[in-house]
Amino acid sequence: MSATLVFVLISITLLLLFAYLATRRTRDLPDLDRTITAIRALDVEAFRNLVDPEEEEFLRASLPAQEFRRVKRERSRTALDYIKELSRVSLQFAQFGDAAQRSPDPVIAAWGKRIANSAIYLRLRALDASAQLTLSATFPGLQPRSLRSLLEQYDRAAGLLLNHNALRRNAIKFP
Amino acid sequence: MMQWYKFVLHYLWIAPHALLAVVSVLMFVRRLHKTFPIFFLYTLYETIEFLLLFVIAGIAPTHRVLYRYVFTATLAGSIALRFGIIQEIFNHVFRDYSRLETLGAASMRWLTALLAVAAILLAFYSSGTVPDSLLSGVALLSRSVAIIQAGLLLFLFLFSHMFGLSWRSYAFGIAVGFGIFASTELAVSALHLTDLTEYSKDLLDLLPTGSYHVSVLVWLGYLLAAEKPVVAATDAVPEMDQWSGELERTP
Repeated sequence: MSATLVFVLISITLLLLFAYLATRRTRDLPDLDRTITAIRALDVEAFRNLVDPEEEEFLRASLPAQEFRRVKRERSRTALDYIKELSRVSLQFAQFGDAAQRSPDPVIAAWGKRIANSAIYLRLRALDASAQLTLSATFPGLQPRSLRSLLEQYDRAAGLLLNHNALRRNAIKFP
Repeated sequence: MMQWYKFVLHYLWIAPHALLAVVSVLMFVRRLHKTFPIFFLYTLYETIEFLLLFVIAGIAPTHRVLYRYVFTATLAGSIALRFGIIQEIFNHVFRDYSRLETLGAASMRWLTALLAVAAILLAFYSSGTVPDSLLSGVALLSRSVAIIQAGLLLFLFLFSHMFGLSWRSYAFGIAVGFGIFASTELAVSALHLTDLTEYSKDLLDLLPTGSYHVSVLVWLGYLLAAEKPVVAATDAVPEMDQWSGELERTP
């Protein structure tokens, strides 16, 4: 197969991809029902326990080395599933904030900007955490960095949403 | 040369540039030249370049060398402006997201360097069989530029999609238009480096102008369609209280 044919195939693929991205754009609007369902399904407390460094230290001290590695692998894999879900939720937060930013109401638009920025940072932290947990699942002996900042960022993003909702409720009470 | 071919060739040469002039005027009327100054400059540049080449072709149809040199010289400016437009789209999409802007800018720099190296290596190892040095030089340059620009546009789409960012209509339209043009340019410039028959070459000449016509129509379409304000979810959220309740349960 010649290089020319490769370029032609790449070109056709790119054209199809650009056409696909252009047509699926309208479906990218945030779906609030989906976000609510995702938040309901996310058990943050269980995730906190899974990545708690003190709990890990306790397990390291009380279990034989081989058993600890097996448990650590399982815990890392489970935590990875949570991270995937958290990452998905953060994407929905970001879409919500991004859409709110375009509201004609400047207060909602300002909150939208803050929510979107916070959600984007949460997603970045989630991506970093998933890399760490993958490493941790592969090499259980490694001491991973604390995921406290990820959880703090989740709290921050969730807090912004709560504040936003409180503002909205007040606006309804005192229009 | 067949009559239909001449007609299509002239149509595809004149029509996109006439429409591009309309895009310039509309942008100016809608004050979009302040939001997208480089793209506005590009539309003016392309229109003036077309007029210059059209005059050369009309006044001195036998001066093919002059035409080719002017075409090559103005192509350099056009390529530079297209890179500027990609940067302009990037700034426009990520201007509200400082953290993402830093990460995106760094990724773009690395990706540009990587794509440039790939394009240079490909230019060395698959430089084609065309004897005309100017033509093959232009085709090689076009192919290298198309690789970089298509790669950067694809990255822009995927990166913003990864973080759930929606694009404002016109920035999206500009990017899609350039994406179509860069993708076609990639195939055409690669085919131009092969040993084609005169008939195939003539047919191939219709492709870039045809795709450029499509791109201009995309730009015009997005410009004519009013920017729709997205109905923010905040405007209709009876379920938000329920959502708050769920969040309050989380420590």
